[in-house]
Amino acid sequence: MDTLKRRHPGMPDYQGSLEPEYSDDKLYKPTRQQSGNKWLGLPKEYRDEALAILKEYHDDIIPIALTLISFWTRFYLISYANFVVWDEAHFGKFGSYYIKREFYFDVHPPLGKMLVGLAGILAGYDGRFSFNSGEAYPDSVNYGFMRLFCASFGAWMVPLTYYTAKELAFSMQATVLVTLMVLLDTAYLCISRFILLDSMLLFFTLTSVFCLTKFHNQRNESFSLDWWLWLTLTGISIGCVSSVKWVGLLVTALVGLYTIEDLWDKFGDFHMPKPVYLKHWIARIVCLIVLPVAVYMLCFVIHFAILNHSGPGDAQMSSLFQAGLEGNDFHSNPLEVAYGSKVTIKNMGYGGGLLHSHVQTYPQGIGSSQQQVTCYHHKDSNNEWLVKKPRESPMSESEIEVDFVNNGDAIRLLHGPTGANLHSHPIKAPVTKSQWEVSCYGNDTVGDHHDYWIVEIVDDLNEKHVERIRSLTTRFRLRHKVLGCYLRAANTVLPQWGFKQIEVTCDKRNNIEDPHTHWNIERHWNDKLPAAPAANYRSKFLYDFWHLNVAMYTSNNALIPDRDKEDILASTPDQWPLLTVGLRMCGWADDAIKFYLLGNPIVWWSGTASLALYAVMLLFYMANGITFFMLAR
Amino acid sequence: MMLYQSKQEYYESPIHIDQISTSSIPTYTRVRSRRPVIFDGHYSDMRGHSRTIFGLRMRDLQLMTGLLLLAVFIRLYRIYQPSSVVFDEVHFGGFASKYMKGRFFMDVHPPLAKLLITFAGLMGGFDGNFDFKEIGKDYIEPRVPYVPMRLMPATLGVLVIPMAYLTLRQSHISTTASVLVSILLILENGLITQSRLILLDSPLVACTALTVLAWSCFQSEQRRPFGFWWWFWMSMTGLALGLTVSCKWVGLFTIALVGVSTIRGLWDMLGDLRITPEIFTKHFLARVLCLIVIPISVYMFFFAIHFAILTNSGDGDGFMSAEFQQSLKGHQMHDVPIDIAYGSHITIRHVNTQGGYLHSHNHVYPSGSRQQQVTLYPHKDENNVWKIMNRTNIPYDGPPVMVKNGDVVRLEHVATSKKLHSHDIRPPLTELDYHNEVSAYGFAGFEGDDNDLWRVEITEHSSSDPKSKDYLRTLHSKFRLVHLMTGCHLFSHKLKLPKWGFEQQEVTCIKGGTYPKTVWTVESNKNDQLPEDAEKVNYKKLGFLGKFLELNQVMWQTNAGLTDSHPYDSRPFDWIVLKRGISFWGKHHRHIYLLGNPIVWWGGSASVAIYLIFKTLLYVRAKRGYKDQLSESEQFYESLAGFFLVGWFLHWAPFFLMSRQLFLHHYFPALYFSVLLFGVLFDIITKFFKSRHRVLVALCIILVTYLAFRTFAPLAYGDPWTKSDCKKAKWLSSWDFDCNQFYDNYDEFNTEPTESPDTKVDHVSSNVPHGKENVATTMGEVAHKADAKNVVKEKATNNNVTEMDTEKKEFDIGDEDDADDEQFNPPAKHDEG
Repeated sequence: MDTLKRRHPGMPDYQGSLEPEYSDDKLYKPTRQQSGNKWLGLPKEYRDEALAILKEYHDDIIPIALTLISFWTRFYLISYANFVVWDEAHFGKFGSYYIKREFYFDVHPPLGKMLVGLAGILAGYDGRFSFNSGEAYPDSVNYGFMRLFCASFGAWMVPLTYYTAKELAFSMQATVLVTLMVLLDTAYLCISRFILLDSMLLFFTLTSVFCLTKFHNQRNESFSLDWWLWLTLTGISIGCVSSVKWVGLLVTALVGLYTIEDLWDKFGDFHMPKPVYLKHWIARIVCLIVLPVAVYMLCFVIHFAILNHSGPGDAQMSSLFQAGLEGNDFHSNPLEVAYGSKVTIKNMGYGGGLLHSHVQTYPQGIGSSQQQVTCYHHKDSNNEWLVKKPRESPMSESEIEVDFVNNGDAIRLLHGPTGANLHSHPIKAPVTKSQWEVSCYGNDTVGDHHDYWIVEIVDDLNEKHVERIRSLTTRFRLRHKVLGCYLRAANTVLPQWGFKQIEVTCDKRNNIEDPHTHWNIERHWNDKLPAAPAANYRSKFLYDFWHLNVAMYTSNNALIPDRDKEDILASTPDQWPLLTVGLRMCGWADDAIKFYLLGNPIVWWSGTASLALYAVMLLFYMANGITFFMLAR
Repeated sequence: MMLYQSKQEYYESPIHIDQISTSSIPTYTRVRSRRPVIFDGHYSDMRGHSRTIFGLRMRDLQLMTGLLLLAVFIRLYRIYQPSSVVFDEVHFGGFASKYMKGRFFMDVHPPLAKLLITFAGLMGGFDGNFDFKEIGKDYIEPRVPYVPMRLMPATLGVLVIPMAYLTLRQSHISTTASVLVSILLILENGLITQSRLILLDSPLVACTALTVLAWSCFQSEQRRPFGFWWWFWMSMTGLALGLTVSCKWVGLFTIALVGVSTIRGLWDMLGDLRITPEIFTKHFLARVLCLIVIPISVYMFFFAIHFAILTNSGDGDGFMSAEFQQSLKGHQMHDVPIDIAYGSHITIRHVNTQGGYLHSHNHVYPSGSRQQQVTLYPHKDENNVWKIMNRTNIPYDGPPVMVKNGDVVRLEHVATSKKLHSHDIRPPLTELDYHNEVSAYGFAGFEGDDNDLWRVEITEHSSSDPKSKDYLRTLHSKFRLVHLMTGCHLFSHKLKLPKWGFEQQEVTCIKGGTYPKTVWTVESNKNDQLPEDAEKVNYKKLGFLGKFLELNQVMWQTNAGLTDSHPYDSRPFDWIVLKRGISFWGKHHRHIYLLGNPIVWWGGSASVAIYLIFKTLLYVRAKRGYKDQLSESEQFYESLAGFFLVGWFLHWAPFFLMSRQLFLHHYFPALYFSVLLFGVLFDIITKFFKSRHRVLVALCIILVTYLAFRTFAPLAYGDPWTKSDCKKAKWLSSWDFDCNQFYDNYDEFNTEPTESPDTKVDHVSSNVPHGKENVATTMGEVAHKADAKNVVKEKATNNNVTEMDTEKKEFDIGDEDDADDEQFNPPAKHDEG
């Protein structure tokens, strides 16, 4: 940022200073001018007129021409490959969910995928296509238009680069050069031409940088209309870029660093009155913090508003949220849990899943070799548990009488498919070694008092005090009767042997505020009980918003690649600056249309070389600087 | 003559040596003045002594002796207590016995501190016949000389005190502050606990303290470059750095501190135009010699001793490469023929995991194909022998045909006549869709099927033997085995099969696997058709440098791999507030829990905070145009405090970058710096006090510290305590020492026979760092174990005993093939102490 300032110290209208450079006739005079009367086969008058027009309007003609070329390169043969290429399989599918309005779950924020959905609607697509990788598009899907829509974001990068360079007061030559570099980079070109989020991410990254430079150039006219405009647009831009992918937070950080430095400089400005300084702070807090957060949250508001039907991502969300979705089957839940009920149990911490068990056991050397208990975000029969009385208590023989579970009761939870008891014992949990392991052990008759859990009701959404567990609304904790620890799942991911599901432990700390020890009944089946009266469940937006973001973060963390498996698609950051790898984007059959993501080496290498050169120069000036400083002394 | 407004101003203003005739002051004469002296532009508080520690005044010596005696008393008080293994004595005591026996082991720490402990044990008459197997194991009965072994760290812990005192005194800090800091260090419960046991942190802190002392003496010699003492202190610094880093790698942070300080000094010198390039180069080379060459030599020297002692094979073998193992007694291999012909009997070794040889035995997989298991087994055994055959079954009597790169072969397990086989069935543990099960299939006389076919792909060869590129040759060729039908690669990884697989390593066939874990080599080779004088080959001998580099690399990887959580681990932010300690030991209603003295701990952290706030304030004020001119004495204090702050920061912040498990004791070097900083701040703040008041303030601080020390002393010494006293001492709810272990009143400690066998060894045993639980289960123990399930359930009902330890010992025996071999002891994934 320092260099920006030095380029035009205290000169608000620098463009005037550059005028002579391109008003120079020589720049546009063809060399053959003297030799004949004809120019490109046209009479001389046309040439002069053309030159005059060019001279007068070159500020517009050049970017328009480059933009047109950009659109042409991006759109050229765009529907040539009539099959699903690379991650179109994901993002096309996610776009479809918006059209079908079914709730789904993904690690990326919604803005980019909503735009894909919008492209689908504009293309007249009904959302029915499955988007399997490599599958040919049926006639009903106007994939060409959807690709065009995404590619146009990529095409706009070119004018954005041009004007950013102009704002940075580059010379005409440099401006055209950098624009051409963006235009001619094959990686930008390639990644823009498919139904992916990257073109949008790049577009909003570039708008953020562009708005920031615009804003920077307004700095001597603080609080002018333009100043506010560009500050606001910067805020909106970083809001958008972060709503496409979390990688957008990197450009947000750049804006943040610039702002901090700017405010620090202003702090040292003795001429600035304190109220003005305060105003600067407030303006930035509003435009660069509040506004982007608002944009980000707005995307989620729209996301939730569109996706109001039950879909494949239900299990990621809280039970209450699911109950609010159309097409869920919670209405058949009986109200209060009784002995003999079959239930699924949901963790109420942000990002919590369903209590789950499966036949696989804890590996030897890590745990007890008993059956694993985890938290899982997929609905299957392995999430079902039977509520049973302790073995010692007399069983109620009556067929009609229903014995409800009361607060403080000791219960046994029997895993539906395997019939084993939820169990804990003083063995260290596999990952969180300071807590006890939770496993499934024995069966209905075989077991011990380590299978007993005390129900402790925390509260109920509708009524202050309830003595029985109500499905969906009652928060309760499960305390191990012998060890006194609480059943807990806190988004710790198990290794491969646990299928990267979430670890369940028995926590020795008794902290009633800890939401990761809170559970609720999600599904409830009991033949003896009638379905609960219909109720309108509404979950709070802020809770859902945060829940979903935590779930996204947790899933992101679980995406650790297997180091033993060759991943031809993956590359590492150290390979990028020198472009040592590319990316194969589709099948490589002999007769197939093939796409390979590879940057333009000249563009990439010159960019990297510039960075290296700059670092060397910086060091050199520092060493010289100190010598000069000493000489001056 | 200048006039002074007040007495205070007079004391503040420095004496400039050049104001007076320099010749009138002999260099070693004491200037009896409280005023600081500016000599040749350098600040020097010549209050009574001249330059470095050798110009000490009598009073300093007296005070130091007093402090030393106090430290000896506090540190060595009842050092025989407790008379059983405590916390990581499990490791470090165990290493001492391995040194005694010369059995190779692998530890993530460099050898110096462990060698010192071994030396102490040797002096005390330790014979190495005690295994320090678990926390709470008795020392008295087997007559282990544990007191001399504990005396070694304790002595070094005591030496920290005079070193701290000297560092501050020769840095021109007042006597009061120096004594104060020394007493704070003496009464620091954490340092006491740590130095009284057979642990490495006490030697580490002592070496760090020595480095700081030498470096600050060197700084005082800056005025006389290339003089004797200048050279002396610089090489002392280098030596001390070498010692520090040879105790623990945390010493690298100390190196970073000295490095930063050196670069800063050189940078200033670069700006000093009086220094010619020649002199600058000389300065530079001197630093390279003393601060780089000397530490590296010292570090390597201790490894040389390490290798010289550990000549026999031991439980660390499994970590090392085959070449390394060849250098240990008990692993040497005879020369084997280099050419591999069809019909040769070979053993195939996995290159990446040190897991051993491709193995099969007469037991089937309990799931999947239920065919015969194929595993990786680390010991030499006839079940490792495979016969390499071509794909046809036509008998052949001609001259031997060598196996070439790209050949399709079959491998027949000689002992069971079954062939190495793979098919589209998921392996028992790694149930991923890109892994296929590998089994041994068929019987004698059965021709086999196409799933028995493997292609040999030679990927690396010995540069000295170009022939091994095209022909499969023993040891020289590294190759992958590609399953012909499915295209997957024979693969193994460090995942142990359950007891039905005898805890041997899983072998699978991976589709699209990465290179490292799919590489194999032929280690032994036997073929009757080859002539007696056929070309032979053996592992090449590793020299010292090769062994040194490999061991350090393995240490690094193992260290980085310690990412499991531990019941008492903590993160760097917890350390500055002393959020929790570590439970070390608990037996006979006594408890040892590593917890710092909160006053010292928080005092150090507060000093850091105050100094940072002060610097920030100055910075912010400068931005607003205030010209704060620090006096020369203030500047001096400021730069000294800055040095200690950087020291604290460099010993604390890098831990944030480590994902491995961390413990409170990792903070000790940083704590040392923060307490030194406390001393400097004490001087700055009390500078304007009268001498009497200053001493009074110091006494108050000492009193409070002493009270805190008294409160927590039972946890440091393992002394009797009561439940109520213990509960009162829980200043923070996060301090998780177990008060329920203690009796209700002190009388019960006298009536109860302390050696009663039925007192329980409870939760502390769960402290055994996880790696140790894997250690050494011999076949003898295994044979007597009853049905596993019963034992587990029985133990599960008894919550005083951790199931973990028990379960480890359970194996199902029945593998006759392997029964002769010593059951492989999985190398203890060592956990830093």
